[in-house]
Amino acid sequence: MATPEKIDLYKLHKAEYVTPKKPVLVRMKPAQYLVIAGQGAPGGERFTTSIGALYGMAFTIKMTRKFAGKQDYAVCKLEGQWFMGEDATKVPQDQWRWKLMIRTPDFIGETDRRQAVARLLEKSKPREVEEVKLEKINVGTCVQMLHVGPYNREYETIAVMRAFAEKEGFTPAGPLHEIYLSDPRRVPSARLKTILREPVTKT
Amino acid sequence: MHIQQHFDEPLALDELAALACLSPHHFHHVFTGMLGESLASHIRRLRLERATWRLKLSRTSVINIALEARYETHEAFSRAFRDSFGISPTQYRQREGVGAQIAAPSGVHYRHDATPRGFWTTRRGEKAMTVTVKRLKPMRVAFMRHIGPYNEVRETWDRLTMFLGKEGLVGGDAQFIGICHDDPAVTPPDKIRYDACLTVDERFRPQDEIGVQAIAGGDYAVMTHFGPYEKLSASYAKLLGEWLPRSGCNLRSTPCFEIYLNSPESTEPEDLITDIHAPLELTGGTDHGHA
Repeated sequence: MATPEKIDLYKLHKAEYVTPKKPVLVRMKPAQYLVIAGQGAPGGERFTTSIGALYGMAFTIKMTRKFAGKQDYAVCKLEGQWFMGEDATKVPQDQWRWKLMIRTPDFIGETDRRQAVARLLEKSKPREVEEVKLEKINVGTCVQMLHVGPYNREYETIAVMRAFAEKEGFTPAGPLHEIYLSDPRRVPSARLKTILREPVTKT
Repeated sequence: MHIQQHFDEPLALDELAALACLSPHHFHHVFTGMLGESLASHIRRLRLERATWRLKLSRTSVINIALEARYETHEAFSRAFRDSFGISPTQYRQREGVGAQIAAPSGVHYRHDATPRGFWTTRRGEKAMTVTVKRLKPMRVAFMRHIGPYNEVRETWDRLTMFLGKEGLVGGDAQFIGICHDDPAVTPPDKIRYDACLTVDERFRPQDEIGVQAIAGGDYAVMTHFGPYEKLSASYAKLLGEWLPRSGCNLRSTPCFEIYLNSPESTEPEDLITDIHAPLELTGGTDHGHA
């Protein structure tokens, strides 16, 4: 099969993903994601089912296209937006609101999504697959930094990012965005790598 | 030791494995893990070491010594000899002293006058090796067989995940598993059998190229391999060659398998994580307090 080379969105938009361990400003272009929104503690039941539904949709859409001989692409890593205001430590975990997301090429459309939902329900997968949507997200200018370590120490990295933003004349506009580079089920928490991204506006 | 006494016979894998009370599946990994070199290179090295004695202690022609050492031509023998000892067989014959050794991590060398006296098991690097014994339930998997070198299994995986993916069977809690039926140290690359597998429920039926098999439940020694798939064989050598002999456990004669915990598509090779599973003989009781 002579198919064109597989698309890797992270490599294609390298400038948005290569992140040092010190804060930098990035300008994000609008991007499409498969998303599922919910509320509850990370690792809780709702959260875990949502991750399963999101990945199920991402792979089913990709493989259906690939089987049809259309442009192949890599399924990107899991990302998440968190809606807890400025200080997450003040909100109980079961009230954390989040949107889990996987960056998806622009050529994926509503037809692809609906087909995949039908296929997955036919296979008796959890109904949450119906909640997985396509969404264009445009966050504009962000401060971004690589966080290495457990998720519950992210506030340290966020503090560094906010100090940097202030110095550059920006204020945080939220929501906080995380890109999970490591698999928390396998990687020791001290070595977890996460890109933290916070949208900002000029003060 | 057996190898040195039966140097000149073609060494049958089944026979060696039986002597070591190991299944042929696992013999090579255990051998490599313990001696730090493959069986083939071990034999090649000892035959060359013996040739150094023959060159000094006999008047046999170089070509005959070459043939004894299982080289087909004088040239091939001279090249291998020079690579190992830095001089040609003829130059060596004219030199002082007798017998030479090629550096080997195990310390096993050819001895003209006696059989070797044991060996050191190797410890390459002092990286922590964590092995846990887990009792697994049987798993039902859809699979596609790959026959050929390990570095070409990607293509089989692409087809398997495409066929199952469009059916909505990839993602969620499906596990990616590779069953390794052969040992690359003994099976020629084009004959290696490898099954690319994805766990499925009882409703899945075999179709076209995709079969269904059960992976046996029971006890498994599990070691996590961090890094590129090309380096998996080093971890196998550690698990089967270093951990296993010290553990007192015995292997079952079913193949080892690997569970891939992240996707090579979106992960850098250094960050790949693979759990290697080696099947252990059931110990009978319910007590499984292995360290």
